Amino acid sequence: MNEGIYKKLVDLYVGDELPEEIMEDLEARAMNDPELSHDMYTLRRALQALRENDDIRLTEESSQRILTKMRTAGARVEQNSPDPAHLQYHLPMHG
Amino acid sequence: MRVGQTGSKNRPKVTGKPPDKPSTEAEKPGLYFRASKPDQTTSLMSSSSKDETLAERRWLNALANGDPNALGGLYEIYGDKIFRYTYRMLGNRADAEDATAETFLRVLRRSADLRADGAFKTWIFRIARNLCIDKMRQHKLLELPPDTHYSGVEERAALKITVQQALQDLQVEYREPLILCDLENISAKEAAEMLSISVPALKSRLYRGRRALRDKLGGSLEKMT
Repeated sequence: MNEGIYKKLVDLYVGDELPEEIMEDLEARAMNDPELSHDMYTLRRALQALRENDDIRLTEESSQRILTKMRTAGARVEQNSPDPAHLQYHLPMHG
Repeated sequence: MRVGQTGSKNRPKVTGKPPDKPSTEAEKPGLYFRASKPDQTTSLMSSSSKDETLAERRWLNALANGDPNALGGLYEIYGDKIFRYTYRMLGNRADAEDATAETFLRVLRRSADLRADGAFKTWIFRIARNLCIDKMRQHKLLELPPDTHYSGVEERAALKITVQQALQDLQVEYREPLILCDLENISAKEAAEMLSISVPALKSRLYRGRRALRDKLGGSLEKMT
């Protein structure tokens, strides 16, 4: 198998887009191919690092500033929640 | 009546499933939204996602009907998502707050443009994206350092900054798919629609972006055990 195909397979592997059988086959090949193994490991690790180190969230302070900006611009923004979905419909009960 | 500025304080009523075929009323722009075509994950959708979808339809109907509470309702569903997206794109909280506020103001101003053949989620992310790109052009934000957050142990915080900086250093065309697909867990199809590119092009950028991120993290990856 040429390098280009391996690269594409690794891309799919990292995104969990490979069927399990092919994934296992690729992992088996990586056992005897340090370069392939390194490519698979580092890409997965990079993606994991990205997800683990991302904790951006909308704080209450930021939210209040955003709402103030919107109101200043003339928008009427009420902070409200629609009724929860389970209160909107009467589902048939079974059992 | 100007949506969101005047009108009844009544809470929006549940209108049920949007019509499959446009009725005379529904053919007018902004009166209903067709949900995006379900993908493979639909059956695995969490109850909170279903609640959000129902609430979204409800608030969109309310917005179209001039309910002043509608913008607040949509903000409760999308405010956090749009803020996180704009923060990751722009790299600092103040600009992300501006972009988030302007995104919702544009939703309000353009509520008449809500189209029946598109998904609101795609539409609002596109608005946010265009605002981010404008801001980056205006202020050359790519050259500014991102906010730093020392919220934990020093080494951990340093690692976080390294990753955030690596993400910021990526070209926008590679950063966007990473933010949408890998951080926001948006499907490739939806992300492609948001970026106005094909799914294969989206995936190509995503794969290149992941490799570029890996290369930028370089030796730092070995410390991340």
